[in-house]
Amino acid sequence: MGFEGGPLLSLVIFLPLLGAVVVLFLPRGEGGLHKGTALVTSIVTFLFSIPLWLRFKPQVRGWQFEQKADWAPSLGFGYHIGLDGVALLLVMLTTLLGPIVVLSSWKYIQDRVKEYSIALLVLETAMIGTLAALDLVLFYVFWEAMLIPMYLLVGLWGSERRIYAAVKFFLFTFVGSVLMLVAIFWLWSDSSRAGGARTFDYVSIAQLSGALPLQAQRWLFWAFALAFAIKVPIWPLHTWLPDAHTEAPASGSILLAGVMLKMGTFGFIRYAMPLFPQAALDAAPVIGALGVTGIVYGSLMCMAQTDMKRLIAYSSVAHLGFVMLGLSALSPEAVNGAVLQMVNHGVSTGALFLLVGYLYERTHTRDLAAYGGLAKVTPALAAVFVVVTLSSIGLPGTNGFIGEFLILLGTFVAPMGTWSLPLLGSVSKGVLLSVIGSTGVILGAVYMLWLVQRVFFGPMRKAATHGLPDLSIREWLCVAPLLAAIIVIGAYPMPFLAASQIPANDLIARVRPRAALLPRPQGAQLMVPPGDAR
Amino acid sequence: MEVGWLYLIPLLPLLGAAFNGLAGRWVPKSWVYTVALVVVLLSFLIGFAGFVQMSGEEGTQFHETVYTWFAVGSLHVDLALSLDRLSGALVLVITGVGFLIHLYSVGYIDEDPGYWRYFAYLNLFVAAMLLLVLGDNLVAMFVGWEGVGLCSYLLIGFWFDDDAKAYAGRKAFIVNRIGDFGFLIGIFILFNATGHVDFAGMRASPLPYAVAMWAAGLLFLGATGKSAQLPLYIWLPDAMAGPTPVSALIHAATMVTAGVYMIARLSFLYVQAPGILALVALIGCLTAFWGAIIGTAQNDIKKVLAYSTVSQLGYMFIGVGVGAFFAGTAHLITHAFFKACLFLGSGAVIHGLHGEQDIAKMGGLKKYMPHTAITFAIATVAITGVLPISGFFSKDEILAQALNTSAFKFLTLTPDPTGPRLGFLGPLIYVLGTVTAGITSFYMWRCYLLTFHGNYRGPEDVHPHESPAVMTLPLWVLAILSVVGVVLVLPIHDFPWSWEHFTDGLFAHARGGAPGEYLPPLVTYGIAVVVAWVGFAGAWTLYKPARNIAGDVAFERATPRLRRALVNKLYVDEIYDVVVVRTVWRGARLLWRVVDAAIIDGLLVNGSAQLVAAIGALGRRFQNGNVQRYAAVTALGVAALVYLLLVRT
Repeated sequence: MGFEGGPLLSLVIFLPLLGAVVVLFLPRGEGGLHKGTALVTSIVTFLFSIPLWLRFKPQVRGWQFEQKADWAPSLGFGYHIGLDGVALLLVMLTTLLGPIVVLSSWKYIQDRVKEYSIALLVLETAMIGTLAALDLVLFYVFWEAMLIPMYLLVGLWGSERRIYAAVKFFLFTFVGSVLMLVAIFWLWSDSSRAGGARTFDYVSIAQLSGALPLQAQRWLFWAFALAFAIKVPIWPLHTWLPDAHTEAPASGSILLAGVMLKMGTFGFIRYAMPLFPQAALDAAPVIGALGVTGIVYGSLMCMAQTDMKRLIAYSSVAHLGFVMLGLSALSPEAVNGAVLQMVNHGVSTGALFLLVGYLYERTHTRDLAAYGGLAKVTPALAAVFVVVTLSSIGLPGTNGFIGEFLILLGTFVAPMGTWSLPLLGSVSKGVLLSVIGSTGVILGAVYMLWLVQRVFFGPMRKAATHGLPDLSIREWLCVAPLLAAIIVIGAYPMPFLAASQIPANDLIARVRPRAALLPRPQGAQLMVPPGDAR
Repeated sequence: MEVGWLYLIPLLPLLGAAFNGLAGRWVPKSWVYTVALVVVLLSFLIGFAGFVQMSGEEGTQFHETVYTWFAVGSLHVDLALSLDRLSGALVLVITGVGFLIHLYSVGYIDEDPGYWRYFAYLNLFVAAMLLLVLGDNLVAMFVGWEGVGLCSYLLIGFWFDDDAKAYAGRKAFIVNRIGDFGFLIGIFILFNATGHVDFAGMRASPLPYAVAMWAAGLLFLGATGKSAQLPLYIWLPDAMAGPTPVSALIHAATMVTAGVYMIARLSFLYVQAPGILALVALIGCLTAFWGAIIGTAQNDIKKVLAYSTVSQLGYMFIGVGVGAFFAGTAHLITHAFFKACLFLGSGAVIHGLHGEQDIAKMGGLKKYMPHTAITFAIATVAITGVLPISGFFSKDEILAQALNTSAFKFLTLTPDPTGPRLGFLGPLIYVLGTVTAGITSFYMWRCYLLTFHGNYRGPEDVHPHESPAVMTLPLWVLAILSVVGVVLVLPIHDFPWSWEHFTDGLFAHARGGAPGEYLPPLVTYGIAVVVAWVGFAGAWTLYKPARNIAGDVAFERATPRLRRALVNKLYVDEIYDVVVVRTVWRGARLLWRVVDAAIIDGLLVNGSAQLVAAIGALGRRFQNGNVQRYAAVTALGVAALVYLLLVRT
């Protein structure tokens, strides 16, 4: 591919950082100026990312917009970036959310605006960089760079228990990354095996790592997987999430849910699974089971919450459970569905946090008991909330349906082997995981519609006072692109699915090379043949 | 045959919904009404033209692939539509009855400030329902399936500031989702076994018995949700919280029959799963009986009709369950006419009484609202079958088919092939279904007599009045359809309008061969007429005009416990509430407190943090900067070393 795309991708990565530098030199105290610069920067970044989408060729295998430059050749690391379809989708999601995030807390953030704007912009660069990096050191630098601005966003601009939440978030994710760093060094030291110099280059390492002995693969896989699993988060490593989400300002929550959680699942697709294919195949049922646990457990947790933001945070555990289930199934339908579901979750949960932010700005409470009857005062806000809710519970016609349907169907047909269970006998793992996961379809409706009724329907309660303003133009501008994405992806998902097709197939071919040889479970062994009376 | 205009049928109401939803609030009222009505009428006209063209020749089917919706791996899902005689007839019912109900709604909802929202939802419903019947694959059908559920949710909770109504909407959605869970897994099983989700592809591959059983059974779970059958019928009576025209359109004429339609559409699958067919028939029969007995003791006019709908849907499931797909779908169509008429009539009554729904507080209304009374009476005749008009024949056909079916003769109760056979199931269903027909006649005549005859028992400041023409016109059209609908179901073979004849070759044949004949048709007709008149006689004895509500008192005195149980809907909601709803919510809270907060977060996460902190605190003691203590510790250490090195050795 070479320099075909020119430095376009680099531009998209570093534009936000450039904006941050500009903000740094702006005089303190000019709040609007700082936020304005951040907004303009993020919009320009989005505009520059559009050609990425337009010029990307989904039918072409390999890295696109690739750029490679030496950095420290003696140590084996360089500046190597590029995109595949999966990374492209997530980059687009990030740049789309960028301006929305800046606008979302426009009025809410009034103190230390300069630092706040810088944090947002640095975070955007770090996130895009993480997605684009093709060098393990570069990846790790971006990965850790995400941590600091997010830590600050929660810790400085959060609500009451922000310090606890920020420290918890930081320690959790940092512990995971440290093990990954060790694994990266191991891979580096091993990379001279083929005779060349040691390198951190992803492409070179990927060529070697597949042949590692299973024992080594296992250690390395789980070292990477732990870092990613915390970020996703996979049950039971999720308890940092509700705290961080609840305490973060709306902008932080949107970025956290919209993009940062996907870095974990992206890590599985890009690093943990393809680098250590045999270990990944071994671990797939375990990960699938944890994913399903996340779906059911996360949904039940939602039903126990009294804090709106906490409820939505737990719903992320359930939604990301779907994504992990799809990845572990390793069938084309499921993996493509999982990738789409990553985008979907970014859009719909991002929108939910945005809307909850709107509510909080109006009522200054997140306590569900205070809410009720808001649809009478703010009908447009209620209508938008309902649409986003429908996307979140996967109603056909919205984006959420395509993702969930593909994941569950793909898992059902996945040749994952069988478990022997008491009472049921020998059961196809795919079928069992898919059936349990499908209960998430019911539970999702239970907690989300409960939330909607609690907040918007019924008689007006404390938080719903007359004269609360409905959506302002700024608020409409923020939420409109997300609504459009919900409908467009739901009605015409093919362009998005096309982007992930090749990387998904490559992943499956690498991890489950014999997939084609295994017969699909005929009619699902879940079924004990009933009395055939014929 | 490929055509290029089928998409217009669902698209037009969708556009109407978009217009009214987005702009309805700002444009004049008349625009909202015009758009809402015109799009449905246009859909009807297109559907009608297509229907005429298509039905000219047997076996013709119009097909259209609008676009590839999504295709991944071996899964290929088109947004594809097809118009055959079954879906064509239903398109006409949906848009035709739908149009009448839209028209009626103009009078009904005019004074409500949410009229624009109402018409947006109603248009959206029509679009989704059309997609449901036109969809040429299970996924497209599922879109419509869930889409109508959404509209149902929105319309039941239309007056959302009432918590009970909002709750009823939510309950409907969630109970339906439990069914949809089954529907989804059914799709997965069929795709796994055949590699297709489109009907033609699935029909082409014969299924292993176990696969067919599971797929048909799980899809039927979906049908019990959508079509309000045992054990998932509980949402439908509560759904009466919505505006009455909505109950007529969604919860009587169209949406709730979707499960019957689905089974008829998938007849090729269900005949491969005879055990599930037996289950369908049995559940249908039990639901028919269950709904009817509860209907005898309800005083809310809409609740009577709701339980009646539950019961009548049960009849349809008996029809498809015994393999007589034509009979089940014929009753679907006639029921759409007379039940829509009954619901709209009840709406006219409620409208004329300013919101009163309790039949104990009605009475004598035929004097004030003659059109409503006459049309209600005609529809009541149709549903009870005291005279041989549409409902009589369509119900009787179902019962006769159940009696004579051969579909269950080879089924055994246990896996043991020599075990007892299920041949008795058909006659059993016939008997229970016939008894139910008598009960139906009883509760419907009770409802009619209490509402329209006797003395007016409502408060004096409420002056009952007839509804405007925009509301009575649809009543008359539907009443006439309830009568002339009989041409579809006349038991004359080769009658050109006969639905059985018309749908020849459309449905698969159940195994077991053609039905035999236990009783000659004239005998079953005789029994049906007698049973209907017995029910009427019972109602007349208890509730004849002069007695007013004395009948309920007599009923209560005769069987106090039974009557109270029936009034309380046999306590099913209460049982579900304790066993399922509370258990799940309490369980969730417990799980959160114990597992999430205490074990994972408390013990493991914060516990490990505290452990580190404790070790740190311990270490801190040695670093407190107190030189004397350092010296003391050093001295102690030296002493210990001296002891170890010198004294011990």
